[in-house]
Amino acid sequence: MKNDDGPGRFVFPAWTNLIRPLLAVILVTVPAYLVVLVWLGGSPKTTDVGYRPEQPVPFSHAVHAGQLGMDCRYCHTTVEKAAFAAVPPTQTCMNCHKQVRSTSPRLLAVRESYASGLPIPWVKVHDLPDYTYFNHSAHVRAGVACASCHGRIDTMEVVQQVQPLSMGWCLDCHRNPDPHLRPPELVTAMDWVAPGDPAELGRRLRETAGINPSVDCWTCHR
Amino acid sequence: MNARVRLAAGVTHSNAGGSRVGRRYWRSLEELADSPAFRTMVEQEFPGLAEELEAPATAATRRSFLKVMAASLALAGLTSCRWPKERIMPFAYRPEGYVPGVPQIFATALELGGAALGVLVKSVDGRPIKVEGNPLHPASLGAASPWAQAAVLELYDPERSTTLVRREGGQRRVPTWDDFVAFAAEQATALRQRGGRGFAVLAEATSSPTVAMLRHALLGMLPAARWVEYEPVSRDAERAGLAQVYGTSLRALLHLDQARVIVAMDSDVLYGHPEALRHAREWGAARRGDGGAMPRLYAAEALLSLTGSASDHRLALPAGRIGALLLQLAAEAARAGVLLPAGLGTVSPFTAGTPEADFAVRAAGDLAQVRERGLVVVGPGQPAEVHAVAAALNEALGSRGTTVTYTIAPDPERRPHLEAVAELSASLADGTTEALWILGGNPAWDAPAELEFAQRLAACPQTVHLSLYENETSRLCRWHLPRAHALESWGDARAWDGTLSVVQPLIEPLYGGRSPAEVLAALVGEPALSAYDLTRRTFASQWGGGEDAWRRALSDGIVANTAYATVTPRLLGDAAGEAGGRLAVRPASGRELILYPDAKVFDGRFANSGWLQELPDPITTLTWDNAATLAPEDAQELRVKHGEVVRITHGGRSVEAPACVVPGQARGVVGLALGYGREAGGSVAAGAGVDAYPVRTAATAYLASGVEVQRTGRRRLLATTQEHHVIDTLGMAERGRRVGSLIREASLNEFQRHPEFAKNATWSQARPLWQEIELKGEHQWAMAIDLSACIGCGACTIACQAENNIPVVGRKQVARGREMHWIRVDRYFAGDPSDPQVRFQPMPCQHCENAPCESVCPVAATVHSEEGLNQMVYNRCVGTRYCSNNCPYKVRRFNFFNNFTKVAATTRMAFNPEVTVRGRGVMEKCTFCIQRIEAGKTAAKNERRPLRDGEIVPACAQTCPTRAIVFGDLKDPSSEVSRLHRHPRSYGILEEIDTKPRTLYLAKLTNPHGAAGEGEASS
Repeated sequence: MKNDDGPGRFVFPAWTNLIRPLLAVILVTVPAYLVVLVWLGGSPKTTDVGYRPEQPVPFSHAVHAGQLGMDCRYCHTTVEKAAFAAVPPTQTCMNCHKQVRSTSPRLLAVRESYASGLPIPWVKVHDLPDYTYFNHSAHVRAGVACASCHGRIDTMEVVQQVQPLSMGWCLDCHRNPDPHLRPPELVTAMDWVAPGDPAELGRRLRETAGINPSVDCWTCHR
Repeated sequence: MNARVRLAAGVTHSNAGGSRVGRRYWRSLEELADSPAFRTMVEQEFPGLAEELEAPATAATRRSFLKVMAASLALAGLTSCRWPKERIMPFAYRPEGYVPGVPQIFATALELGGAALGVLVKSVDGRPIKVEGNPLHPASLGAASPWAQAAVLELYDPERSTTLVRREGGQRRVPTWDDFVAFAAEQATALRQRGGRGFAVLAEATSSPTVAMLRHALLGMLPAARWVEYEPVSRDAERAGLAQVYGTSLRALLHLDQARVIVAMDSDVLYGHPEALRHAREWGAARRGDGGAMPRLYAAEALLSLTGSASDHRLALPAGRIGALLLQLAAEAARAGVLLPAGLGTVSPFTAGTPEADFAVRAAGDLAQVRERGLVVVGPGQPAEVHAVAAALNEALGSRGTTVTYTIAPDPERRPHLEAVAELSASLADGTTEALWILGGNPAWDAPAELEFAQRLAACPQTVHLSLYENETSRLCRWHLPRAHALESWGDARAWDGTLSVVQPLIEPLYGGRSPAEVLAALVGEPALSAYDLTRRTFASQWGGGEDAWRRALSDGIVANTAYATVTPRLLGDAAGEAGGRLAVRPASGRELILYPDAKVFDGRFANSGWLQELPDPITTLTWDNAATLAPEDAQELRVKHGEVVRITHGGRSVEAPACVVPGQARGVVGLALGYGREAGGSVAAGAGVDAYPVRTAATAYLASGVEVQRTGRRRLLATTQEHHVIDTLGMAERGRRVGSLIREASLNEFQRHPEFAKNATWSQARPLWQEIELKGEHQWAMAIDLSACIGCGACTIACQAENNIPVVGRKQVARGREMHWIRVDRYFAGDPSDPQVRFQPMPCQHCENAPCESVCPVAATVHSEEGLNQMVYNRCVGTRYCSNNCPYKVRRFNFFNNFTKVAATTRMAFNPEVTVRGRGVMEKCTFCIQRIEAGKTAAKNERRPLRDGEIVPACAQTCPTRAIVFGDLKDPSSEVSRLHRHPRSYGILEEIDTKPRTLYLAKLTNPHGAAGEGEASS
């Protein structure tokens, strides 16, 4: 057992030779992994797209906007004149639901609200940071469709976020609005497809209406 | 003599070589003396910061800092990736016409001292957030005073009284309104049995017709009851003076737009008057020198006021000598051919050649020349005789009907406030008043000291006090009732000229308060009537208004044609001469103490408003304090330094206050503002200033003669802003020369001869260092500020604070130069410290096209927009403060703390939701009200129409009483701002360093006596 190296002398086992390359690999991959994790994992594309909270009333846009073909503005009346496309008051629901399915248990919360005068606590789906000042009317009047940002609401049983609503995503359109413009009277059409080249149509619309989206910081942040 | 030479006198060339150093502008006596302390101050970017970093007790050590940073980095990963779930709470029944998030504007009125100011209040989602003037209202014309604008903060003050309080046998109970109504009914029954004997109501001054009707009903029910009106600060002397010469109680209305020569005798018509906003508007319109004419203002006053600052000739004179000066003026007027009533114009108290006599000669000569276009106006602190003589003088000039008109004073039989409260106090002492209801006001604190009102009130067996706050008076009363704020109750009020406004609530009472009318209704047996019912009843009965008229009144904020009728009184034969005779025998006697309502907290009622406390006083730039103001010579004589506490004694009563040396104050005068040193004023008011009421007796309510001033040796740190944000152009050596180029001025004459004088004041060969970027925006925003119109009132500062969620930082931080106001009003003195001229310059961000702040920001947090705005991006800012360092105008403000974390939930309701609330560590500054710009642009685009000029108005411009601030689009050549930018008087400050400011100033014009103009001799 004894050898020239003398008693008690410790010899690193052979596998320890791997530590150095391993360490190098870890030093390279772990930070890269962390960066990728934060970059992708924290991006609005990952965190926000697909956000689909449960609502206090199982309201189906697929039924109302899809099957029944109701215009968005029947309920979201303020979308053309205000920053907020306000969620309708309970009154609006009861315009129909006094007659239609007036005893449905799914509408219990609506009837309660109507009776008590207290609001239905809807959960906000498309939630911008408080330092971002988005104005619905400016976009809708310019011919940016509801579907461009909110997706095919008419197919959603439960509303979910389909676009990242990130600053980069906003700027993509502000820098090149043409492919996203349509005649303002068609903004609420869910299944509209541009005849011909959308960018070409958009260019004409932009020029005639003088649409000139700003990319200045204070357009949205102030 | 050419224009340049005059400029050397007035403004100095910046590149003209050292030989011609002309008139020197200075901000404070320290600066004038160039003291070492001032040098240190200027050298520091943020005074006091170094001290903070060095102080071991307050500052974190490097090690602990690293520890904390490491911990916070480690914890940062644990926070959730998505922000908290937010709820949308739509109305179950949305009110008609309401769009969520869209502001609604309601017209209402705010009353101060019995005169209403019509305002428009912006309400967002049910929260009133901003008070603006009502353009239709005669006392506002679209402007709002700092007091009116601070009403929202008062509304949301968490320290307002929230409950009724019953004090009985040393116990404090919290009853309900029902309990009180029952008590009121009980008391009414008991009082009716004895016809109201022993009962008195003490009310603050109000013009409300509803309160007047209820008062009438009350006195009908209880004929022996007394109604006492009391305001610590009122214009009773004017009323008494007019009664002396006209035989009836009259109210004077001034028309500065008609005046060509105004002589203000101890009178601050531009700020301290119920119609000051209208006066300022008329003044500002007339002083721009358009058409080659402008009114001339003479001011004689003891304390430097805004009117004195705006004057062309100012005479510093003890208040007790104003009467003598008026007699001198009358004598000189008589000599100049004005036919005076018998007994006037015979005495000349000042010998020829004295400054007083010269002043009188010039002013009288001018008055005699313009006759009915002349106006002599006397301040409320002067005795009745002075008012009487001035009225006679106006009458002799023929001014009645042009520059001054009269109406019958409302409630003409009313006793003067000081006498009325003295009688009430006596009746409390001898027990003839056993029950006292106090509606508003704070008499236990602000009644004349010798009355000992507080002790007598405490001894009264039945006392009720209705008040916004549980204040000094409430604490001594058996019942305290929370009062509904003017923004949360129905009511009515009349302007100084009588125009009726309906007061409508913007919000339900936050704390269940009730209005004075409702409390009175409970007493006269109508407890079921709400303030709304009462107001409508008055409206219907007195103005015969049906539903249409009512809605019109609510919508307009005024009821048209309800102003008091103008009367044409007859001067009583000898009255003016007799008044003059009484004046003539008054000699000056010793040092004077002048007690005056504060420019910010008024008589103390606004003391708990952080906005007002932190607004720099226009003259002293003092915040969070009042001070004993002294003339520089007096301070020297008394060996008192700025900030040293002095004891002021008069008639055995004394008050200790820190001294504040004010150039331009009359010698032998001490000034002390009322309204500070509140004991029960709330946490904001606590510790702010000293209480001047203990030395204020009925006889010395405004002026005490023969006071003694002693040093105490103690000092108090006074938080002034006058040396903050010094524009240190090129070091101390350059400053004296350069500051002159910031304020450019000329007399009207010189302007007519050399219209381009302001542009020629500096020249520069500065060339850009790099290729300049062409701005391609649809609009190019710009501002113009007319220094001829600006009177330095500070309304813009408060408007900006309310609009842009600007924090209040407190006395300590202000003393360190960390006030956050986005627009400050610089105050410069020029000339001799004993007789200085005062110049004001509002200073917002200049939005330089070549902004020096932008090129030094390491993170591009401040960048230029295509529309020419210097944008500040809070989220990018890392707080290096390089931008502030490089800003030559010193308009950038840094958040050293999270200023809003400790703000009460109610106070947060005052936030403007359109503006980000900034956190610690970021820089901020004027945005030209970008939220208003964006809203205006969006509205125009949605309607597919071009923006109209004047559609977008920043908060400062909207509220400016003189319309000195104009904002607009330079791309529109016909816009007002384009016109002003092309104006010959326009100039950019520091444009010689090629910053290309987007804010241009219009040089100040003065109109001194004499065709040649003042300063002519300086060539």
